Order: sequence, then structure tokens, then C-alpha cells
Amino acid sequence: MGPGRISDALSGLDRVEIKSPDDVYWALRTTLVSRAEDLETFDRAFAAWFLRSPTRPPYRGAYPVDKPARLSERTRTDRGGQDDRLGDETTEVGWSAHEILRRKDFAAMTAEEFAHLSKAISEVAAARPVRRSRRLRPHPRGRRLDLRRLARRSLARGGDPIERTFRRRIDVPRKLVVLCDVSGSMEAYTRALLLFLHAAVGSGRRVEVFVFGTRLIRLTEELKNRDPEQALASAAERVVDWASGTRIGASLRTFNDVWGRRALTRGAAVVIVSDGWEREDPALVAREMARLQRAAFATVWVNPLKGNPDYQPLAQGMRAALPYVDRFVAGHNLVSLEELAGLLAGIERRHAA
Amino acid sequence: MAFATIGELEEGLRGAAYLPERGLATALYLSLVLEKPLLLEGEAGVGKTEAAKALATSTSARLIRLQCYEGLDVAHAVYEWNYSRQLLHIRAAQEGTVSEQELFGPDFLIRRPLLEAIESTEPVVLLIDEIDRADDEFEAFLLEMLSDFQITIPEVGTIAARRRPAVVLTSNRTRELHDALKRRCLFHWIGHPTLEREIEIVALRVPGIPARLASQAAAFVQGLRRLELAKPPGVAETIDWAQALSALGRQELDARTVEETLGSVLKYHEDFAAVRDQALVALVEEARTVAAAVAL
Repeated sequence: MGPGRISDALSGLDRVEIKSPDDVYWALRTTLVSRAEDLETFDRAFAAWFLRSPTRPPYRGAYPVDKPARLSERTRTDRGGQDDRLGDETTEVGWSAHEILRRKDFAAMTAEEFAHLSKAISEVAAARPVRRSRRLRPHPRGRRLDLRRLARRSLARGGDPIERTFRRRIDVPRKLVVLCDVSGSMEAYTRALLLFLHAAVGSGRRVEVFVFGTRLIRLTEELKNRDPEQALASAAERVVDWASGTRIGASLRTFNDVWGRRALTRGAAVVIVSDGWEREDPALVAREMARLQRAAFATVWVNPLKGNPDYQPLAQGMRAALPYVDRFVAGHNLVSLEELAGLLAGIERRHAA
Repeated sequence: MAFATIGELEEGLRGAAYLPERGLATALYLSLVLEKPLLLEGEAGVGKTEAAKALATSTSARLIRLQCYEGLDVAHAVYEWNYSRQLLHIRAAQEGTVSEQELFGPDFLIRRPLLEAIESTEPVVLLIDEIDRADDEFEAFLLEMLSDFQITIPEVGTIAARRRPAVVLTSNRTRELHDALKRRCLFHWIGHPTLEREIEIVALRVPGIPARLASQAAAFVQGLRRLELAKPPGVAETIDWAQALSALGRQELDARTVEETLGSVLKYHEDFAAVRDQALVALVEEARTVAAAVAL
């Protein structure tokens, strides 16, 4: 809070009935608070200072707070077994170690292998879908006359528009909204995907990231930190239900209610990262996916389990969601993340799975 | 300054058929006396735009409205040159006699809302509606205007406001606005009104509506907001609905009437179907009880 606000607050107090607690409250609130999220904090501070009421510490959510283990310690799990043969570098003649890593399942990687790959993950994430902007920019092969430049240039020629100048609409990045499952069943992939998302947020504007386990949390601000380690650490602080159960339907509903209603979904490419293990009602997943798909430009579902050739979408939540998914991809190793990035960059039409 | 106290401003808005809560009145009042723009946020239909309109009516100011949209640029928000006039002027004049200065002078300028608001000599309320829909480049441009109340046109120079317009910005929060922009504004979050206030609003906006019907309609909508709906109805919907009920000549609410007219309150099919099939009868009962209690 800068001095400007404080000066506004003082001038404001000067102009209202200082004996009326109501007016003092509103004058301070109007001048000091600028975000709806901060209203609660303001109310507590106001109560503590002006009303002398004892306050409780900030509400931290209704879920038991398990101190999450450090992310780096949790990248390896018991599920790694199936792909271990790929880690045996000597058997694959002619493949560089890097190439093998590219195809290795994230779940089967050691911490060192993962560290090798993290830069590559970041690079992959820079690609984003584009949409045609309504803004016109000067362009030599444009279709619309640039009258402003035309008038100026014809001045020198007695008003004859000899030199023709054009403008056309340019491509700007399409909004990208990512909803990432960080529940227990996704644990092995969470770190890789968050790195991917961190790079996506850093690649430019208009990327929004949410994570969910039992409830939905917006992580865009945390992931804006340039340093990936710090970004993931502050993200880890925000999320209290790492590696817990999954409520996909309820989380999607929160997203639709709170963010979809503010038209965040409209025109966006929406990516959901989850294995589809719904702990509660699959019908809710279907209903909320339908709402999501109606508003979104395209829906993409990333399921790391799909990396296994024998994978069948048997999880109830997954089955319920699939009818409303435009593209269904894997995302379990670097190669598949590259495919995902390519897909996101190339999305032009919806419903073209 | 038209109003000496917050109370007077409240009276003024009431005269313009708008009933503000005390917080909104305070925010508008401070925005006028401190000459700072006011950013209004809140769910759709709580009366953000109406507040600006009522402010204009009550201060006998002209309302200049800029509706924001994606791709909104300076040519549509601030000014544009009248190119056809420019070209004609060059042709009509003797060759070589038109200077660039003449061509890009005030005569050939088309004034869009922002420039109009800055140049106006009469009192103006400038409403920048749904600022969150414009893209961030435009937001950056607004910064200059909102902090110094001046606009720079490269060919003409800087035009400063002759008198500062009252500025109201509204946002539906489809995205977070830039901090620098927020810093220049006062902020107020408009919530849904209390039951008593909503009844008053309905009575004021729908003249001739039976008092009991007004109370019941307001109580019913308040009940709807407690349900988990995709889009909870705002005050705007309550008013629309009350108008419909009044036009149908109803004296009070009953389940059948509600079912027939619910479309003006709930605009999503899922919400409509869920309420019709599950909550409707209970909500009507509750609304009648609550309204009866309010009347006492």
C-alpha cells in the first residue's frame, strides 16, 4: 500500500462524518482496498483496530493441513516399475541419453534425470494457441486501407492517394486456461506438469492456472515468479491438499461458478490435466464438463495414464468427461508434452478431435 | 460540488430512482470530492452501470459512456481523423498550399467518448463500462487519462480537461485489472442488497406494484440466491420480474405464476429446470412467510 492511498484515506476521512463508525468504515474501505479478495482482510483489520475486537488468525481452509513434503523429494513413487527397462541406456543402440529421457515416463525418473529435463520442459511450454485480434496493424498485404497513413502520405502529392497503405488483423495469443489435478493419484506427474505450467505462464500473457485436489485454487500469481524453484515453492504453500483425494466434479463446478461466470472460459482453450479418478459423483463431472465445453473454444484433456498403450478410460470420472473433450492426449513424458504444446499452438477449430 | 454531505448525495440518487447502500453512496461522494475515478465491481446485475447513470441524472451532468470490448483502440475510444474530409480538402485547395498542421487540426478531428469528456465545458459523468473486456494495452492508455485528466494527440499536443469529469469504471472481473490502474481509482464492491432494501428498490422502480407482491418477489429472489445456481439473479432481474408480475395484474405470488414467469429471473436452462423441479414450491411458501413478517 503506497503513500497515495494513505493520503486518499486521510482526505476521505476529512470529508465524512468522523463520529459515524459506518462512514469511517466505508471511507477507509473505498480508499484503501482495491481488490474484492482483500475485503475480508480489511474487515478483520478494521474490527481489530477500531472496534477493539479480538481477531482470530486468518482462515486457512477446512481441510487438515498436512505439511507437504518438499516437491523434489516426491517425484519418484512406487509406480515407476513398468518403464524401468527404458532407463537401461545401453540396450538402445544409437540413442542419446537425452533421447531416452525424452521418452521416459515422468513417474519413473530419478531426481537427477528430472533435473536434466526441466529446462527442456520449460522450452516446450512456450507455444500457445493464437486467435485473430480485432485490432488492426499496418501490414503490407493487409486488406483494409490504412486511411490515416494514406491521408498523410498523399499530402505530398496534392491529395492523390498514389501510395496505398493497408492494415490487417493480426494474430494474438488465445487465452489458455489450465486446470491441473494435484491429488495423490497424480503425484508422480505433478512436478513435471507444474514446471510446464510455470513456463507457460512465463511465456507471455493470458495464461491462467488452477490446481485442484479436493478444492480449486488459482495459482497464476504464484507461477508468475521467474525462478521455477521459487515459483513451485510458493505454489506448494498455497496448496494444502497435495496428494489427497480428488473431487473433479466439485472443482470444475467451482471453476464454472466463480471464473466461468466472469467469462474467463469464453474463447479460451481449456486444458484439464487429470487421471479422471473421481472420488464422488461422476454425473457431476459430466454436467460441469458440458458447461465448460459450451463456453470454451476447445477443451483438451491430458491424462498421463494414456501414455500406456494398454490404457482404457475406465475411471468413472474419465468416462463421464470424455464426451465433452475435444482432444484427449497423454502428457506422461517430454515427447508427449511436445505433442501437447504443438496441439495447443495449432488449435483452430473445436470439436475436431 | 453539488452535494455537501453523503446524505444529500443519497437523496439525489433516490431522486434519480436509484437506492444506494451507504457504502456505495460514500464511495461516490468521495470520488466526487477527491476528484478520483471510482472503480465499481460486483456480480452482474447489481446495478454498477445504473449507479453511474443515476449519478449523472442527480448531478444534472451529461453521461458519456464508453462500452469496452476486446480490440477497443484509441480510434474508437478517443479520437480519429476525418480522412475523407482531409482528402477532399487537399484536392480542393491549390496544390502545395495545404500544410500538415492545417490538415491535422481540430477541424478534422472526430471526437470519441474520452476526448469528448475531457473537452466538455459542462459537467460530465464519464462511464467506462466493463473495462475488463478491453485489452491491457488500452488499460495502459487509460492510465494517463485517469491520473492527469489529459489526452495526448501526437499531431495536436496535450489536451487537458477544462473541468474534471466524474469518472466511474465498472468491471465484471473477467480478469484482474492492472495494479497501476487500480491505484488511481477508489474502489467499491457492490453486493446483493438486503431484503428490506430490495423491496424498496422494487417498489421504487415498478410504480403501482402491490406492496405485498413487491415483498414476496424480493423475498423469492433472495431465496434463489441461496441456492447453488450457475447465475444467481441480480437486482436487475428482480426488477424485470416484478414488472412482468405487475403487468400480469397479480396481487401475490403463487407457484403457478412463478413457474410461468421464472424465465425473466433465471436465464440459464439448467438453473430454470432445477428450480422448477425441486425448490419452487418451498421457495414460494418461504417468500410468502418472509414477506408477511416484513409487513408487520
